[in-house]
Amino acid sequence: MKSPLKMGMNRLDSLFSKVFTPAWNPMYQLGGLSFFYFWIVAITGVYLFIFFETSITGAHASMEYISVQQWYLGGIMRSFHRYASAAMGVCVTLHLLREFAMDRYSGVRWFSWVSGIPLLWLLFASAIGGYWLVWDIQAQYIATTTAQLFDWLPIMVDPMASNFLNEAALSDRFFSLLVFLHIGIPLALLLGMFIHIKRITGARTNPTKGLAAGTLLAMLVVSLWQPALSQAPANLDVAVTTVGLDWIFLNPYTLISSWGPGQTWAILVGLSTVLTILPWLPSKRAKQSPVAVVDPDNCNGCGWCLADCPYEAVTMKEHDFKKGHQQSVVDPNLCISCGICAGACPSSSPFRHVDELTTGISIPGFHIKELLSLTESKLAELKPDEPRILVYGCDHGSVVDSMSSPSVATVSMPCTALVPPAFIDYVLRKNLAEGVMISGCCEGDCHYRLGNEWMNQRFDKERMPVLRTRVPREKVRLRWLGEQGTAQLAHEVSTFQADLSDEIASQPRESVHE
Amino acid sequence: MNRALGYLGQALCYTLFFLPLVYLSHEPTYRVLDDDTALLKLAVRHPGKIIGECTTTTESGQGMRPTSMAQVTEVCPRERSALQLQLILDGKTLYRDTVPASGLHSDGIASVYMQFEVPAGSHNLQLRMNDDEAIEGYPWQFEQDIELQPAQVMVANFKQGFRLQ
Ligand code: HEM
Ligand code: SF4
Ligand code: SF4
Repeated sequence: MKSPLKMGMNRLDSLFSKVFTPAWNPMYQLGGLSFFYFWIVAITGVYLFIFFETSITGAHASMEYISVQQWYLGGIMRSFHRYASAAMGVCVTLHLLREFAMDRYSGVRWFSWVSGIPLLWLLFASAIGGYWLVWDIQAQYIATTTAQLFDWLPIMVDPMASNFLNEAALSDRFFSLLVFLHIGIPLALLLGMFIHIKRITGARTNPTKGLAAGTLLAMLVVSLWQPALSQAPANLDVAVTTVGLDWIFLNPYTLISSWGPGQTWAILVGLSTVLTILPWLPSKRAKQSPVAVVDPDNCNGCGWCLADCPYEAVTMKEHDFKKGHQQSVVDPNLCISCGICAGACPSSSPFRHVDELTTGISIPGFHIKELLSLTESKLAELKPDEPRILVYGCDHGSVVDSMSSPSVATVSMPCTALVPPAFIDYVLRKNLAEGVMISGCCEGDCHYRLGNEWMNQRFDKERMPVLRTRVPREKVRLRWLGEQGTAQLAHEVSTFQADLSDEIASQPRESVHE
Repeated sequence: MNRALGYLGQALCYTLFFLPLVYLSHEPTYRVLDDDTALLKLAVRHPGKIIGECTTTTESGQGMRPTSMAQVTEVCPRERSALQLQLILDGKTLYRDTVPASGLHSDGIASVYMQFEVPAGSHNLQLRMNDDEAIEGYPWQFEQDIELQPAQVMVANFKQGFRLQ
């Protein structure tokens, strides 16, 4: 089930990257988009609340006033409130499916995954509460059906349904409770959202500007064209026969109506339980390798690893033996073994005059000295008749191993941001290869969240450690094409080789045979 | 990709995203109740009779207290009878159940809510209740011919006797 889902997601990713550009690709910002929609709902909600009347007789009429008399502002606010909620529902669902399909829910990510599940309940409860307040026939259907659901539970002493027997039984008090819940539950949702991203460094809680502007514009058009309206006012003396439903949030209600409250509880609680234990269920995915280890002897306390760790796993503390200095520490419960910290550490330089390359921080599964020996040995094996290319790839992006040839050496690792820029300098200076190609996940969609972004910044000299200026940039290429871009990467490697051949051919003869 | 073409593509994507979303926010309509059907609701909230009698005891204090302080206390049991309820429509028993008193010590009010979908038209409705375990049969009885309109909500509840609303 996972791999067709992943294939589908990859297709959508590629399509959207073409249409929106990778920076605006909505598939890469489903969480951020969900935050954005939440804020729209919150702001428009405050406006609606000013005009909303908390009473049985006033509720429906006040919503009519907002939509009809005040269509130009209140009406648009109401439409934004409704459509942003629906969009949030869709984005959150896609976000969940995507994290699942891309295998980003287990290991240390369990926290984000598990903390996401209550958000689903809170989101649905918020939306249902909103529809209830309008007190039209959909709200009447919600009221009587919710009562059915809760009355099934043995905890209910007085049946909730007795509040909605008929018009005579209804009280304004219940409306005050509803308003209280429709403010309280979204606030709990917001709190939950912040807990959800607590363990993530620099979580993208805002979509990029272009995407935000696009979705706002689209919602404005939709709000003018199809404003959100109420249905006929509720009347508890007349049973609801047919009702227009919001199928995004109210689909569980059709379950209650057709299968009964017991089965509905079983499905909802069962589904939530399965989702909750999912990160620990056996699966074919590879086990996480051992977490990063700090070597205090080689740590100078610069804090670059702390700045680059995508999961807030690194902190600084007093140095073990250098008084007045700092050193990094890794929290093994947070570390995901991506190795990005090793690429950030200034001690990871192959130019250092040591017998065996050591560094301040590295993952045992792919130590920096292993990166060096693999790089050197694979390049030494090449028998080229074309310019030699070294391709660094990541285990989650374009599959680089298939590109090995007598003139192309490939090294794959957990994340290409594990490669310190000094390695590229080293390979080119020592004349081990004519060109270096860095590949990985799609731009904006690193499996470890920030790897390709940090690499771009290191190479653009915006982030430490930078690629030194003496490195000829025409000999280095970064291509973030992802797994689905494997064929294109192979093509890019050939083009790179051809370009380097041309360049060598155009150079004066002497400099070719130094 | 051409910039204008890109924006056009984005407009198309937003349309494909929001169109189903707007449609699904109120369509397709859902049928909750068949035409020509009415709803009969039974809502009873009533404390059953207390089980057992109050007993009077004279406490002498068993020598611990002076005899002048001997007290007369009335001890009443708290447990209440469960309700036995029956709803019969056109001679067919639609509902028959025992509703226990609420509370840890079964000393609270017994409460029940049921609803029945009934074809519109004329019917004969009978309601029966026993709220005292000491008695056989149904001390509370009610019978009425009713006329239900399609989608009408009729509530049968209990306040010193069954009544229809
Ligand atoms: C209100 C609903 C939600 C919002 C606003 C939200 C938002 C976010 C945001 C902003 C991130 C950080 C993304 C990044 O910067 O890389 C994130 C990560 C994550 N979310 Fe959600 N989320 C929601 C619901 C859920 C649900 C329902 C699940 C699944 C059960 C879920 C699973 C995850 C996981 C596993 C990550 C971690 C991704 C990683 O470590 O690479 N989220 N979420
Ligand atoms: S391996 Fe990755 S998650 Fe672990 S400390 Fe290093 S950067 Fe952080
Ligand atoms: S990047 Fe290296 S030297 Fe700097 S704090 Fe981290 S481990 Fe120490």
